[in-house]
Parts: sequence; structure tokens; C-alpha cells
Amino acid sequence: MSELEMPMALGHGAALEESPFGIESKKLVMWLFIVADAATFGALLFCYGYLRVASANWVKPFAFFPTILNGVIMTAVLLTSSLTMLMAVGTAQSGRRAASVRWLGATALLGIVFASLHLREWFSLIAEGWSPSTNPMGGSVLFGGTFFGITGLHLLHVICGVVAIAVIAIGFRRGRLDARHVEITGLYWHFVDLVWMFVFPLVYLMNVR
Amino acid sequence: MFAEALAVKGSHMATMESTPGPRTKVYVAVWISLLLIVAAEVALTYARLPAGTLLAALLVLAILEAALGLMYFMHLKYERRILFWALIPALIFVFFLMNHFWSDALRLHSMHP
Repeated sequence: MSELEMPMALGHGAALEESPFGIESKKLVMWLFIVADAATFGALLFCYGYLRVASANWVKPFAFFPTILNGVIMTAVLLTSSLTMLMAVGTAQSGRRAASVRWLGATALLGIVFASLHLREWFSLIAEGWSPSTNPMGGSVLFGGTFFGITGLHLLHVICGVVAIAVIAIGFRRGRLDARHVEITGLYWHFVDLVWMFVFPLVYLMNVR
Repeated sequence: MFAEALAVKGSHMATMESTPGPRTKVYVAVWISLLLIVAAEVALTYARLPAGTLLAALLVLAILEAALGLMYFMHLKYERRILFWALIPALIFVFFLMNHFWSDALRLHSMHP
């Protein structure tokens, strides 16, 4: 047996088979992470629902201005960032490296705008006396805990996404990374957008005064 | 032999390099649809619906948004169907199982004076 034949004989053949899903392992791992993370956010939203239903004196602190209007703008910004990410993936796959890097930059910038609007809202609420354990309106203190917990985890995902997009953009521009890396990062970014599609109606719109 | 196997793997990788997606105008149409759904959610919120009805409506719209995002933005519509069937039903089943504790939440609510 030659040295070249040895890896096959040692059982490495399975590693050379085509993926039954038709995607490479990196992309499959991202999908598995997304499913696990979706279950995490789902559990958090179910816990929020449980606490809300079980609390007789739940507070509804949000007015249209500034909170809901700010939330609508944040949602539009995040949805638009998904569109720019799609453009980044499309241009990367067609070999237009510079254009792809520009679209990635636009996506990261929109992510920063979303995070800034979110932090501004947080600081405004904190200035009013809200915290994970205090409620300036009286009634259940659980609203602060669930609100800051759920939106905080989502904000952490956005910040991680912006960092990931920046790293991928730099690597892609230098030629170290390819279009598949941009596509996989795009999957994560769209997931972050998708989670917000549940957080905004359930945590914001269901708590309008 | 190993070199041949690597060549076969290379051809497999070539078929897996990227998922062909829809055209830009499809993306823009989905993006506009998602923005319109958000606008509908806000309008429903201020339509003075009962809380249960509003919750049901918002959930239906959020699930619709998630479906559009998954299928078009995340390209699940353009992947092999086995990927969808391997991931999504299991996730829905997990969410279904999480519904077990609503009876306890309602019990606690009814215990309040």
C-alpha cells in the first residue's frame, strides 16, 4: 500500500463524501448554530410571556413617541442592513470584490446605527429610573428584567455581527477569505434581523400604553 | 488513489461553493413586503384590539416575516429540501414543547387577589 492510499484505508473515506445537505461544513455549522440560538431566543420570549401572564400588575410603559417610533426606525434600519448584506453576498459571488467590501461596510454601518439607537433608548429608560430590578411606574419589576435581558442579548448579537462583518470584509479585501465566508456571515446577520422580527412586536408593541 | 479521491472531493466542493439565489428585484420585493408588515403591526397595535387578538395577529405577522426571511434572505428556498426538513420541523417542535408551562402561568395569575 502506498502512502497516498493509506488515509483511505484508515477510514478517511467518509470525510471525502459529498454532504447530504449539498452545503459545505462551515455553512452547515452556521445553520446548526442558528437553530440553537433560535431556541435560546425562543426560550427567553416564552419566559417573558410566562412572567407577563403570571403577573397581575404588569406595566405597559411605551408611548408612540419616542419608543415605538424609535423601534420602527430601528426595524427599518435592520431590514435595510439585510438588503445591503444580500448585495454584499451577490457581488462577492460574482467576483466583484471591491463592491462587496463596500456593501459589507454599509451593512456594518447600519448595524452601528441600530446599536446606537438601541443604546440611546436604553440610556433614556435608565435615566427615567428603569433597570432590570426597578420600575419607576410602580407595579411589577419584572418588566425591566425581561426587557433589558431580551433586548440586551439581541444587542450583543448585533455588536458581534458588526465585528464579524468587519473582520470578514478586511479578510475578503485582502484575498484571505472568499465569497463563501461572506455568505455564511450573511446567514448570521439575517438571523439577527429575523430575531428582531419577534422581539419588536412582542416586547415593544405588546407593551404600548 | 488518494489524489483521485481529493479530485472527487474537489468536484463536490465546486458544486457546494455557493447557493444560487434570486435576483435583486426579488430581494427588494421581499424587503418592501417586510417593511409593509412592520407598518401593519404598528397600525394593528393602535387599532384598540383585545390583547389576545392583537397577540395572535402580531405572532402571525412575525411568523410570516420569519418565513420570508428564511426562504429568501437566508436562501433556504434555494437549498436542498433535506436541509429545511432537517432543521425547521425540529425547531418548531422545540417551540411547541415550550408551551407546557402556560397552565402554570395562568394558575399564578388566578392566584392574585
